[in-house]
Amino acid sequence: MNSIKHLFLILALALPSLHARAGMEGMVMDETGMIMNFNNDKIPRDCPKISGDVDITVRGGHEYAKKFNGTMYAFDQQQWDVAPCSRVNVTFINDDKIRHQFMIHDLPGYIYPKGMFTIEVNGPGQKKASFILPSQIKTYLVHCEVPQHMEKGMKAQIKVGGGDGDLPSIPGISAPANPDVYGVEWNKTAWLALLASFLAGTAILLLLNWLKRRTEKRK
Amino acid sequence: MLIRFAYSFYKMQNKYLRVLIVLLIALLIPLAFWLKPGAIEEAGLTPPETSPEAMSKQTGLEIPCKNEHPEWREAQVIDGVKIDESLACNPDNPYDVAAFVKGMNNISMSTWMNTQLSGDALTMSDDLDNDGDPDIIRIKLEVIELNGSTPDGDFVFPGYDIAPGIHPGLWVFAPKTSDMAVKNYGSRQANDYLRAPSPVIRVEQGDQVYITLENTHYFPHTIHFHGVDHPWQTAAGNDNDGDAHGGSGDMGVFPGDNHIYEMKPRTAGTMLYHCHVQTDKHVMMGMAGMFIVEENRPNNWVQTFNIGGGHVRHPSAGVKEEYTQEYDLHYQSVDKHLAKIIQEANDPRLIEKKMNREYNMIESHENYFLLNGHAFPYTLRDDLIVARPNEKIKLRVANAQNSAVALHFHGHKATVTHYDGIKQPEAMQVIRDVVDIASAQRVDIKLDTTNDGLHNDGEGVWMFHDHVEVGATNDGVSPGGNISLVVYRDYIDEQGMPKVHEGMFDQFFTSSYYAREKPIWATGEFEQQLGEAGSLPPNYLKIIAFGLTIGLLFALVFYLLRSFKKEQ
Repeated sequence: MNSIKHLFLILALALPSLHARAGMEGMVMDETGMIMNFNNDKIPRDCPKISGDVDITVRGGHEYAKKFNGTMYAFDQQQWDVAPCSRVNVTFINDDKIRHQFMIHDLPGYIYPKGMFTIEVNGPGQKKASFILPSQIKTYLVHCEVPQHMEKGMKAQIKVGGGDGDLPSIPGISAPANPDVYGVEWNKTAWLALLASFLAGTAILLLLNWLKRRTEKRK
Repeated sequence: MLIRFAYSFYKMQNKYLRVLIVLLIALLIPLAFWLKPGAIEEAGLTPPETSPEAMSKQTGLEIPCKNEHPEWREAQVIDGVKIDESLACNPDNPYDVAAFVKGMNNISMSTWMNTQLSGDALTMSDDLDNDGDPDIIRIKLEVIELNGSTPDGDFVFPGYDIAPGIHPGLWVFAPKTSDMAVKNYGSRQANDYLRAPSPVIRVEQGDQVYITLENTHYFPHTIHFHGVDHPWQTAAGNDNDGDAHGGSGDMGVFPGDNHIYEMKPRTAGTMLYHCHVQTDKHVMMGMAGMFIVEENRPNNWVQTFNIGGGHVRHPSAGVKEEYTQEYDLHYQSVDKHLAKIIQEANDPRLIEKKMNREYNMIESHENYFLLNGHAFPYTLRDDLIVARPNEKIKLRVANAQNSAVALHFHGHKATVTHYDGIKQPEAMQVIRDVVDIASAQRVDIKLDTTNDGLHNDGEGVWMFHDHVEVGATNDGVSPGGNISLVVYRDYIDEQGMPKVHEGMFDQFFTSSYYAREKPIWATGEFEQQLGEAGSLPPNYLKIIAFGLTIGLLFALVFYLLRSFKKEQ
């Protein structure tokens, strides 16, 4: 592993200076990753002003998926509650040696082309960027779109003003829309419970019969 | 009168009546059998008409060529990189070609913005031998799952169709990319970089190459450089052979981790790379690609990646000395049952069990046969060989299938110049019309388009395909599989599709054809004679007679039983 660190160092030195190229407005790309549609000051039309700053630090990696059975990658948090018109200042830390993203969809297109805000970190490291949310009460999807990362757990949500419900299959928060099927452990207690319930069921009928006969006798 | 008769009949509970009833039952049973209306029946004088429904069944009808980027076809120079004309319907993005020739560290911002590559996908630097080209090459590969499962619904993600309506689960190595995995928000179709086969990698002989495997997948993987000159261990003593079965490769590179392989290949030639973890499964899932070491020449900037294989738009200096064009042809097969496993569960633990411990690869079958990641008719979009007369075209062919390929060209006899990357002496370069390629083997072929009755029979739209004929089907539906075409310049239209009879290929661009829902020859004059035979109309006479018989039978049995009960 030492050699890998060493090679990273060589790689970093060999590259002709961090050519952080700002090609489009709100976009920064370099060999460490990219930030798309960062927004520090453009206020959405429906907001009179920025209501306040919300600082969030989110980590991503396979480590955080361990607490959710059946996943492989995850963020360290799955939900953030923020007030409408907040400016969210995100620090995204990648704890894996592969690429991860903090990607949000459905933001207003007149500020965020394609409705997206993305922080992508190419390997171990971190990036910071901000975006400003509109006033609408809404739940926004946050995910990593490297194929199968969201599917295998890297999914979260931002609720603005309480949000408009939960998105499906957020680890620890909401059930999947298309759940997996597992074997059920039929142990002795389960069989006993079934037997006892069966007997109780038959007893109900016997009891009813007995009651009927008793009322008939009284007549 | 009738009621009275029935009543007296009911009242009569004597032995004779019972015998009569039993007799009647015994007679009625064979009668019922004889009258039984079937699901299929023999036609009488007039067989049913041709069903118009099957004819109009055109589900999943597609445009043969969507013509998304006509501007990509022309010859152009981007950032000083000369990019050859590529006339196919879906040519490679020329900006990608420029990035692959120069490296991400040497291209302009505008070129980069026209690609979706990650900033560290490919770095080329240090002209160590002072011959005008970079000699330290750093390549990053990710592991991408195509058509995988999702907990969010009953669909696959990201979608990659190999043919109309066919999307088996696949794993591929892919150049490191950036941004969205799909074509656009709202689409579930994978972007152009996430596709089969694993990309062709090209380096120059003597380059110091570092390949980083960044395992973005949820299972462990490695890279084994098959036939490429590489040391067993890296300079630092780490694994360099990718052997996860007892070599120095441990159990492989695990999810979220990376590993750097290094090599300085001394021998040029067409080689391979593939995953060597659970190799029987992982190679069949798609984790194999071509690795080409180009001969060392001065000022020789090679096209490091050829996404999807096919036409090489910036051939190396060595290839250009002898050839006018170069194509990479990667043959690959898919076992649909193995491929389905990653779509049937989402939990990696369940997929591990189903794939490694429940599925038995000994019982594996090949169902789909891909040329450069597509099966016919999709091969027509990006896997054509576009030729002119009197050309010499270099084909590098790799067989990543389980079974052998018997490559056959119509109208041409090909010269095999290299086996497994190694050049044959001139006298041993055989001319054949079927070239056999065992699993993992490579052959380099010279396709000579000189119309001399030996190398070529003249211009046209000539098929080429695996002559193990099931290889030319999509799970048994023909035509499909690895069929593609050598199309001469005069026979290709402005959208890169072959000029044949109008609409000749259209019927294959429907998912219903490959779902076996459409009669194959029901076209034109023969629509009626070779269409789908309709069904016979219901035979009401028979149905009513049968119904009456059965009803009577039931009633008789009922009365018989009842008569016994009454007696008691």
